[in-house]
Amino acid sequence: MLRESGLKVVLITGGLTEELKRAFSGWFYPVHYNLERWAYALQRISGIAVTAYFLAHIVETGNVVGGLSVWSVPSVDFASAIWTATFHFLKNPLFDTGLIVIGFMLSYHAINGIRLTLAEFGLLQGKPSRPDFPYEPKSFSKAQRAIFWLSVLFATATAVYALNVFFGV
Amino acid sequence: MLLHYATGLGIVVVGGVHLFTVFLTGPYLQNLAFSSVMMVYRNILLAVTLELLLVFVDYHALNGIRIILIEFHQGTNWERGVSWVLSVAGVLLLIYGTRTILIANALA
Repeated sequence: MLRESGLKVVLITGGLTEELKRAFSGWFYPVHYNLERWAYALQRISGIAVTAYFLAHIVETGNVVGGLSVWSVPSVDFASAIWTATFHFLKNPLFDTGLIVIGFMLSYHAINGIRLTLAEFGLLQGKPSRPDFPYEPKSFSKAQRAIFWLSVLFATATAVYALNVFFGV
Repeated sequence: MLLHYATGLGIVVVGGVHLFTVFLTGPYLQNLAFSSVMMVYRNILLAVTLELLLVFVDYHALNGIRIILIEFHQGTNWERGVSWVLSVAGVLLLIYGTRTILIANALA
């Protein structure tokens, strides 16, 4: 029993990093992908990107009241000074460019997420039928495709809007 | 998984309100000045919206990472470990974010 579980641990830790790496890099190896698979990969990548932004945003907005060490109501002057310093630190072309990318990812993730929610409840899906060449997935119906392209369009529009907000073009 | 979809749709609503207050109620840089930010936190309705957004995004984001990780590799121990670590991370983030909202709301 002990030997068995010990062996199992060795097997898991030995190949786990490799396995995770292979699975992750699969998203970036788009050979023989159909549109649905592209939508899937982009949904995952945008999800991770927005999660990373969320973590940073919680830390960033924590500075509105003075940062990590503040756990009771501080003086307004202290909080204001910390926030203003944070604001000036973050206000630069590099972070603004990052926000444009996050804006694209967020909009894509939102609209494509609505498509996935509809699909989850069986809405706008194609009827099952005999698989014939060129074997297009029935799950990815015309309406579903339309929402996917809408999400790409909306994401692009968001990026253009963000470009205008941050760089005034 | 139902919660993942529910929080996702919730984020579209309260996240929409959040983006509206930052970008569409005046010049963006002006809205991020300390006094403007404080006005948002002191408005109880907007503060509640921010707390809701925090809860929804916290769950949705960390559950999303959990889904990705248990899709990459299957196993009882792995799934249990991933779920535990991400749950703890989620609670810590929730505590820190809620602290910000509560203190900013009380800041005179």
